[in-house]
Amino acid sequence: MSRRLAPLLTLAALIIAWEVVVDALRVPEYLLPAPTGIVAALVGEWRMLAFHTWVTLYEILCGFALAIAVGVPLAMLIVASPPFERSVYPLLVASQSVPKIAIAPLLIFWAGIGIFPKILVAFAIAFFPVVIDTVAGLRSIEPEMLHLARSMGAGEGKIFLKIRFPSALPSIFAGVKVAVTLAVVGAVVGEFIQADQGLGYVLQQATAVLNTRLGFAAILILALIGIVLFVAVELFERWLTPWSAARRTELATGTL
Amino acid sequence: MARVNLVEVRDVSRRFRTPQGDVHALDSVSFDVREGEFLSILGPSGCGKSTLVMLIAGLLAPSAGAVAVAGTLVDRPQTRLGIVFQSPVLLAWRTALDNVLLQCEMRGRVTETQHARARELLDGTGLGGFEARYPHELSGGMRQRVSLCRALIHDPPLLLMDEPFGALDALTRDQLTLDLEVLRARSGTTVVFITHSITEAVFLSDRVLVMTPRPGRIDTVLEVDLPRPRRLAVREDPRFAAYTRRINDRFMAHGVLKERA
Repeated sequence: MSRRLAPLLTLAALIIAWEVVVDALRVPEYLLPAPTGIVAALVGEWRMLAFHTWVTLYEILCGFALAIAVGVPLAMLIVASPPFERSVYPLLVASQSVPKIAIAPLLIFWAGIGIFPKILVAFAIAFFPVVIDTVAGLRSIEPEMLHLARSMGAGEGKIFLKIRFPSALPSIFAGVKVAVTLAVVGAVVGEFIQADQGLGYVLQQATAVLNTRLGFAAILILALIGIVLFVAVELFERWLTPWSAARRTELATGTL
Repeated sequence: MARVNLVEVRDVSRRFRTPQGDVHALDSVSFDVREGEFLSILGPSGCGKSTLVMLIAGLLAPSAGAVAVAGTLVDRPQTRLGIVFQSPVLLAWRTALDNVLLQCEMRGRVTETQHARARELLDGTGLGGFEARYPHELSGGMRQRVSLCRALIHDPPLLLMDEPFGALDALTRDQLTLDLEVLRARSGTTVVFITHSITEAVFLSDRVLVMTPRPGRIDTVLEVDLPRPRRLAVREDPRFAAYTRRINDRFMAHGVLKERA
């Protein structure tokens, strides 16, 4: 229990210290608002914030879903076809040296206005870890297991369905967990570049007029979205692959 | 003992390409496995004995020579056999029972009879009551038993075992050796058993092929004439000692074993 309590206590202590310091040093609110001020903004503007939260959440979820829908099949293709792997995989990896945030303005420029271009940026940033980890997962299978499967007369399809894919799930989830946090970054970056709605837009508008309290409120909501989505993926993973969590604990405690 | 040959290995060689250059794993190896026989292939690490299992199973092609099983040339993965590797290679998300039934599932639909047979096999290897456990809840020895049951569920005419007890502690190893002796007496399956344990080979086998260090060749073929079923006490039999002594002598002649002053 104290493992969960300890970070919460630290957080509470930090927030109290923040409040006290801002108050004692009379820090102007446009520079750094006190936590109570941020909460006040959150409560006072909740209707407006709820609308923009919904917009950003929608972009994040669509970008995230697209990253999985494209990333996993692409990884399967890379593993299944050596010619495809040779011709595409190196380029894919090399393309990651281009900072995605740098090409975001171009994506927005090409895709126009509205929600779709933000989804595209979220997708572009989130999909790479899904591909990499899925490829690693599909490859990590023990060769003996494949030998056995072939001796059982199973076709590649059945081997994939019953052996390869399930055994890749822990690795796929590792990529998906990174992807979900990156999708949040992508959606906000997209909104920074051009938007008339969404939390990134609120954040930009608020800081432009020195309404720092509102800016912090938007950041707080973004942080909460990131945490909630990450935990949701983690819970789904535990539900889907309980054996993986059990094996991890076993490895960690060394009872093999 | 029937006189028919189930497996025929003829002048088989196998080379592997590695970054350090070609490795000559097997050099012109020929032998037969008689139907119903328990044959051990005994040799030092790296003598290509595991490669032999892969060649017989059709999971690897020989660089030269040919392998035939039941009179048919092996040119693709063989399915009328069971394999047990040194590592149990169980699927972590399946229970012991479902891991055994994987064999049937991969071949088609699982029938009630196969279900019953799987339980019976698990029972017979001391895993009664553990059918619903997951691999991470089982000990190393138990996992290997599950792996053995999986290799036998479809009543294969041939069982290939590649150092199946190599990763187990000495006591578990003895127990599994005894269990295998009983299980095999019941099923009458032909077994090719790879090991580097001299006592294990003599204890279990009708014949022992002793291999030379790399490149692997057959050095000696030893007929083990000891009564079955074999029990632990057979190890104290003077004939048992004579057999192990002869194998030891071969290994010393090849420098695999050295007695230093």
